[in-house]
Amino acid sequence: MSNLAVLPIILPLLFGIILALTHNRIPLSRFLTKTFTIINLGVVSYITFRVFNQGTITLETGGWEAPYGIVIVADSLAMLLVLTTNIIAVACAFYAPHSLSERQEKYYFYPFFLLLITGVSGAFLTGDLFNLFVFFEVLLMASYGLIVLGGDKVQLRESIKYVIINLFSSMLFVTAVAFLYSVVGTINMAQIAERVQEVEQQGILTTIAILFFFVFATKAALFPLYYWMPKSYIVPNPVVSALFGALLTKVGIYSILRMFSLIFIHNIDFTHPLFIWIAGLSLIFGVIGSISTNNVKLIVAYNIIPAVGFLIMGIGVFNEDALSGTIYYLVHDMFIKAVLFLIVGVIVYVAGTSDLRKMNGLINYYPLLGWLLFISAFVLAGIPPFSGFIGKLLLLKGALSVDEVIIVLIALISSLLILYSIMKIFINGFWGEKQESDNIKLKSTKGFMGPIVFLLEFSVMLGIGAEFVYPPIASISEYLLNPELYIDSVLKE
Amino acid sequence: MIFAVFLPLLFALFVPYISKIKAKVHTGIFVLIIPILIFLYFIRFIGTDFSPVTETISWIPSLGINLTFYLDGLSLLFVLLISGIGSLVVLYSIYYLHKSERLGHFYVYLLMFMAAMLGVVLSDNVFVLYMFWELTSISSFLLIGYWHYNQRSRYGALKSMLITVFGGLSMLGGLILLSVVTNTTSIQSMIAMSDVILNNDYLPLILTLLLLGAFTKSAQFPFHIWLPDAMEAPTPVSAYLHSATMVKAGIFLVARFSPIFAGYEWFFIIVSIFGIATLCWGSYMAVRQTDLKAILAFSTISQLGMIMAMLGFGTEVAIFAAVFHILNHATFKGSLFMVAGIVDHETGTRDIRKLGGLLTFMPITATLALFGTFSMAGIPLPFLNGFYSKELFFDATLHLNEGTLPITNFLVQIIPYLAVFGSIFTFVYSLYFVFGVFGGKKQIDQLPKKPHEAPIGMLVSPIVLVLGIILIGLFPNMVNGTFIAHAAQAVSGVPIEKDIYFWHGFITPFFMSLAVVGIGFVLFLTRAKWAKVYHAVPGNFSFNGVYDWTLSKMDTVPSKITNTYMTGSLRLYAALILSTVFLITLGALLLTNGFTISFDNLAEITVLEIAVVTIMAVAAIATIFARHNVSAILILGVVGYGLAILFVIYRAPDLALTQLVIETITVALFLLCFYHLPNLRSPNEQTGYKFTNALIAIGFGALMTVIGIAAHSSKWFDTISEYFLETSYKLGGGDNVVNVILVDMRGLDTLFEIVVLGIAALAIFSLIKLKRNKGAE
Repeated sequence: MSNLAVLPIILPLLFGIILALTHNRIPLSRFLTKTFTIINLGVVSYITFRVFNQGTITLETGGWEAPYGIVIVADSLAMLLVLTTNIIAVACAFYAPHSLSERQEKYYFYPFFLLLITGVSGAFLTGDLFNLFVFFEVLLMASYGLIVLGGDKVQLRESIKYVIINLFSSMLFVTAVAFLYSVVGTINMAQIAERVQEVEQQGILTTIAILFFFVFATKAALFPLYYWMPKSYIVPNPVVSALFGALLTKVGIYSILRMFSLIFIHNIDFTHPLFIWIAGLSLIFGVIGSISTNNVKLIVAYNIIPAVGFLIMGIGVFNEDALSGTIYYLVHDMFIKAVLFLIVGVIVYVAGTSDLRKMNGLINYYPLLGWLLFISAFVLAGIPPFSGFIGKLLLLKGALSVDEVIIVLIALISSLLILYSIMKIFINGFWGEKQESDNIKLKSTKGFMGPIVFLLEFSVMLGIGAEFVYPPIASISEYLLNPELYIDSVLKE
Repeated sequence: MIFAVFLPLLFALFVPYISKIKAKVHTGIFVLIIPILIFLYFIRFIGTDFSPVTETISWIPSLGINLTFYLDGLSLLFVLLISGIGSLVVLYSIYYLHKSERLGHFYVYLLMFMAAMLGVVLSDNVFVLYMFWELTSISSFLLIGYWHYNQRSRYGALKSMLITVFGGLSMLGGLILLSVVTNTTSIQSMIAMSDVILNNDYLPLILTLLLLGAFTKSAQFPFHIWLPDAMEAPTPVSAYLHSATMVKAGIFLVARFSPIFAGYEWFFIIVSIFGIATLCWGSYMAVRQTDLKAILAFSTISQLGMIMAMLGFGTEVAIFAAVFHILNHATFKGSLFMVAGIVDHETGTRDIRKLGGLLTFMPITATLALFGTFSMAGIPLPFLNGFYSKELFFDATLHLNEGTLPITNFLVQIIPYLAVFGSIFTFVYSLYFVFGVFGGKKQIDQLPKKPHEAPIGMLVSPIVLVLGIILIGLFPNMVNGTFIAHAAQAVSGVPIEKDIYFWHGFITPFFMSLAVVGIGFVLFLTRAKWAKVYHAVPGNFSFNGVYDWTLSKMDTVPSKITNTYMTGSLRLYAALILSTVFLITLGALLLTNGFTISFDNLAEITVLEIAVVTIMAVAAIATIFARHNVSAILILGVVGYGLAILFVIYRAPDLALTQLVIETITVALFLLCFYHLPNLRSPNEQTGYKFTNALIAIGFGALMTVIGIAAHSSKWFDTISEYFLETSYKLGGGDNVVNVILVDMRGLDTLFEIVVLGIAALAIFSLIKLKRNKGAE
């Protein structure tokens, strides 16, 4: 029991409120945002360190004991993701001032940004199913604010779809919570797990589990529920796209991982093969989408779908290697998706268009940008020694050890097409002749590159330094395979 | 040894600085030191008493991924090729590439490749091997695309990357399977466990995946198509990557893993068929080319096929010949590429139709070409190394192991004939190359530049290689015992003692060679007459066409597929999402027998309740049929107020109040908004469309009801709400349980719901503000 557990939620909330008050003073807001995200990262790093060394930290909020009140559970999985989230937040805080217009900054980008972090961290940390719903609302509402920021027509058009489909899934979420409460009589996740285990997930429980899966699958943009995602992710400012791409879909995946490793694990033969199917279809349709367009932003947005396919595949396979793979890939994908959206943001900025057919020879003017994209392509496709490889290796190993051959073959082919989709940008946009005319005005990329390099470093280090990252991640997956550990940490203290 | 692998990479870090600071001196001069150092380091391992060396540095031990480098005869042969030819190529490039080129880039890529290739042949760890393998593909991609302002370069770079990375990924699949099956990541340990692998059900899959990697990398038929387009790279690169080293990585892989599969008949069948097919197709197609480098590219393809086939044969003599030919091919093909580069450099064209009669202008180059091509053609002369390996190849085709499958025995019968067929065309294109360029009529006016002999610096490297041809030809046993035998032993697993002679007597291989020379000579002279055959085979068909077709489809088909459902129509999205959720959840409900219904624990139903619910239901249905937005909203309001009445009936006055307030406000807001909006209902919708939508909606609603009933009928546990009732006053200090829950017990929820409202307010404010500001601009 320690109040530490709630700090990753409360701090960004306070900061967000402060920033709402200073919104008219842009330089101050910028400075504060940078400072706040760094402070947050520091605190979160400390908590993560403690959790990995001394075990889960729980907090019964308001002093109401565990199954009754809301409990915050800072376990290793949650803290790893909160830490990743906050690293990305720092990069975005430094990128945002260069990317946003002053009007966007003035009209509450920074508060929305920090409240988004609040919601995301809360979703990772809470141990209460209804509270999870509340944090979903927080992060969604903040994302609604971010997606319409700027008020362009196309933004409004896409965000209405985004809002309505997410609203639908939220309604389904509450309904599913109500159904589950009716059966097990509790909304504390640990106690739900205990009770579902007691009745061996019989009767209606598996159906309810499937409902939950769809709630989160819609947020995670899995096949066939992702229709709302690609176009709505590309309409806001690149820094917002980066936040969405890195964090939002991953919260959905996290929730599936949590629900189907802690609670609904007593009918695995039924639920988990379904995940593998969906993984396969997400991989296929995701990469088809990613090579279907010449819009560089859309290429990256579509690439979210095969990535969540990889993630859900590991949950479907459900053994130690595969789960480690999912967690590794999850962290990797959060970084690389942020990097790619940020890079593509700069590309669109310097090229003045997002249409690949209108770009040419950018590497002659922006070599650093080009090489960052080049490296990112290989990181994304899972080519060693970068981060994607370790995750993919574990996933494929896990899948093969339980004879899931077809999904492995699909995964390998989609890796190739993922690489192709990004290399298309490099070959067509960056390679090529220098423009003849001198009237090309070089745009300064100052300020953009720092955050991108900062994040890409983590991607590279996650691969090369896998020896330092893998053991803790393997311990998380071992922990997930023993749900009593979670239950005990919440209910028996 | 490990340092030797990473030395090029380390040095590559400094190359950009060197190329900037020392603008006056050619960067290549500095780079040259690296391969020479590596060569000198490894050459000392050569000797009759060589035994394998292993070095390990831990990298990711917990995943079994370590930098374990294993130097045996096979890797020693490759390491020396990589560093030896590497030195010559760098030297050659100093004269070939002008200082105005982006030399920094060139040498960084080249050094990257060098390190990667060294890594491929030295790694004992399968995943480290894979890493270096992909790095060779990446550096090859960058080198092919070096002159990226040419469209052909971009095309060739993409093509090579797609095909080799595809192969790399399938190889990765095979390697993971191997490591799952054997529970080790070390190749040597896998070889030791070959019986486990051979008895595993996945054996066919493992072999297929590994061979896909090897065949794509080594340009085996029909994956060879990337190699001719890779010729867009600067010629030193073609000589180095695309003939002497990288394309042999596939061969290396097969050689490395062949001890595992040695006893497996399908290994023989697949590898031999692909090898022989590549040999025949490559040499046949080479004669048709007009670009010097294209001739050499197809020639390389064909030679790689020959080596591959020999590895497939798996007999001692075949393996020995294969290893020997790897060395020989590197010498003569390397020198020929350099010759082609010189011709291109000094005449300005590589089109053999424009060239001819260059012997008088470039006597040294012509001599070099003569040695190279004659060695390649396998002309029986005692100072040409190509002849020895060619004759060993014939010998090997005649002594194949019989098998149990009919196809094996069929192959054993026909392979000698195919070998002769391929060799005849090899002979033809060799003569075509050398006489087309240096013999025949002079056509000086056709050439962009006035031809003259190349500068001496450019000639040094091919001269060294040709000296290699001659020395190995004269003293084959000089390389035999010292390292060819070690390499062959590494591949076959047993020591291979073999003496190489020039003259074996009048035996079948000799007559095969004679036939090749005889028929080949006739075919060369009558080339113009039978060239029509290319109109029949391959005719208009080409594997390139298949690739281009696929690539163009990859541009169009995915967008067609995607556009069918990514229409931007929210109603379509909703229909798709709802029907998916409906179908799968229904499936789950039925398959897990989830439905139960129980009438216990139900309150009595009063007339009032029935009345209210009926009104709500009628109103809900009526909403759908309302013709106008405003009326729809008003009718929907009825449902909300009905709900409030239900709350009253169930004695929840505060909920009823809340519901009333909310309902009133929303209806009022909607009315306000709709007043300004056009009527959104589109009047003409097809009945089928409506019907489907109705079906989805009703189905989904019904399903949720059914689940709700089932959930209500499965109350297996006491709810935690009892606790709230008990402790509300005691611990929470309030009589109103709902209030205590909201502000205390679940205060966190309430806090964040307030946050949600706050954000919503800010979002709306910012939306209005930004919109208004925009209007003002």
